[in-house]
Amino acid sequence: MSPPQSRTPPPAPPPSSARQQTPGSSSSSARGAPPPPHADGAGLQSRPSFRDSKYSEILGADVVSLPDLRRLAWNGVPPAYRPTVWKLLCGYMPANRDRRAAALARKRREYAEAVAAHFAAAADAARSAQEQALLRQILVDIPRTAPDAPLFAEVAAVQRSMTRALYVWAQRHPASGYVQGINDLLTPFYVVFLGEHVVGGEGGGAGAAAAAAAAALPEEALKEIEADAYWCLTKLLDNIQDHYTAMQPGLQRMVLRLEELVRRIDLDLHAHLAAEGVQFIQFAFRWMNCLLMRELPLPAIVRAWDTYLSEEDGGFESFHVYVCAALLCKFSPALLRLDFAALVLFLQDMPTRAWSEADVEPLLSQAYILSTLFENSSAHLNVTS
Amino acid sequence: MARHESPFDMQIKLLMIGDSGVGKTCLLLRYASDHFSQTFITTIGIDFKIKNIELDTKRVKLQIWDTAGQERFRTITTSYFRGAQGILLVYDVTDKKSFQSIRNWVAQIQQHADVHVNKILIGNKCDIDNEREVSTEEGAQLAAEYGIQFFETSAKNDINVEKGFITVAREVKNRLMADGGSQGARTQGNVALSAPAKGGKKSSCC
Repeated sequence: MSPPQSRTPPPAPPPSSARQQTPGSSSSSARGAPPPPHADGAGLQSRPSFRDSKYSEILGADVVSLPDLRRLAWNGVPPAYRPTVWKLLCGYMPANRDRRAAALARKRREYAEAVAAHFAAAADAARSAQEQALLRQILVDIPRTAPDAPLFAEVAAVQRSMTRALYVWAQRHPASGYVQGINDLLTPFYVVFLGEHVVGGEGGGAGAAAAAAAAALPEEALKEIEADAYWCLTKLLDNIQDHYTAMQPGLQRMVLRLEELVRRIDLDLHAHLAAEGVQFIQFAFRWMNCLLMRELPLPAIVRAWDTYLSEEDGGFESFHVYVCAALLCKFSPALLRLDFAALVLFLQDMPTRAWSEADVEPLLSQAYILSTLFENSSAHLNVTS
Repeated sequence: MARHESPFDMQIKLLMIGDSGVGKTCLLLRYASDHFSQTFITTIGIDFKIKNIELDTKRVKLQIWDTAGQERFRTITTSYFRGAQGILLVYDVTDKKSFQSIRNWVAQIQQHADVHVNKILIGNKCDIDNEREVSTEEGAQLAAEYGIQFFETSAKNDINVEKGFITVAREVKNRLMADGGSQGARTQGNVALSAPAKGGKKSSCC
């Protein structure tokens, strides 16, 4: 094993110091104070925690320091700041405060024009067979997207909105087009950005309250959420586009890296899976294609994405592989006792569906440790099998 | 371990294929768990269920692989074709396109699956009669053309679901037994089908 080395550039403090840095848990500190309407500059009204004052300081700057923000956000973003922080970390909203309003207005207008072009009555009639197939596929999938979350299952306006965003994205990215799973990746952005429009709300939810709030939203507000979600999804996918192109080479690469990592971290588990004939692609394909969104509930995913977005680059690719390795090895004792069929059944329906933010945080810390151990030796992780 | 006790006489691998949204996962949930849910979710890559059944006095362990229908996943899903012994070709009777796709799916089978693989044609969602786009006759005709059995099913109302799975499983069982004689079938069942467990050898299916 290679000696521990810190990565360059280190995006986050080691997890142990991270915990000391945030004395209040994310829920108590964030929910105690009324959320600022917009985090860019608004002061907090009552007894801000240390973390809140850090956010307020960093986000209040004329030009937000993205390295500072990443370091802070890596450990989890309080819900009140999350919409702003995600837009900044995605590279959608300019760090420079003076440019923000104009940039967002332009992006939202540009998106609205794309929607108009693709969904006008004339466009309906002119759709090619391929475009009809695309729309049909998205329409089949929308009711199957996060079906347990009322925000997505029950609010027709949200479903129509997501249909448009996915369709426009697919049309503009023909090399991959719409691939099942991308619908899942859109949902965290809706959850987070909706929080910004719900007065007095904490955001971050997709339950009945969020559904009611979304259904009551003025059309303009939902359009704004849709445009922001579209652009942030675009930014996210720009970095991992070959996960969804023909043959999905990016996913194959991640699965191979996961297998190699597990072989080095937990040889017994690797040997056991091999002896039972379980191939990593069998279970990890979905872990990569949907970025664990089928394994973890939305609040846990949103928390994980705070960290993914804070990684300098590769949050949704290389860091995600470390998270998957940490997840698999966490269940190693249970897995070692199972035979082929039981293994496949366990891995396709992990006991993680009820996980909270608090469950996912140790996993992120573990992934960070693995990344410091293995990142600099990534050459050794290259395809050997 | 359980494997060595071998509480079954024979293991059979079935595979479900067909366009996205025709109800493959719902059929499997109905059959394996006797459960139907409107709030199902898209299958990504491949899913797996086990069902132990008694088939003509044989204890049979069915391994059923449920595939994603979307084109982009074809690379991963077709890699499972080779190990399959029986394939359920599923379309949606309310969706003409999914029926027309059956020819493409059969071509995929010819390209990727074992030549002797048993097949069955399933027209799902027959409970939604007022939206039907494919008649029972059309389905029967296509099945006759391929020389395979045909059922219209409803995962929702539990119509013909078990019959479909059992029919193709029985065909596989009979073929394996005929191939190897009674002694041979048993051996083949253990060797060919439990292959993944032996010395880290990769299963031909995966």
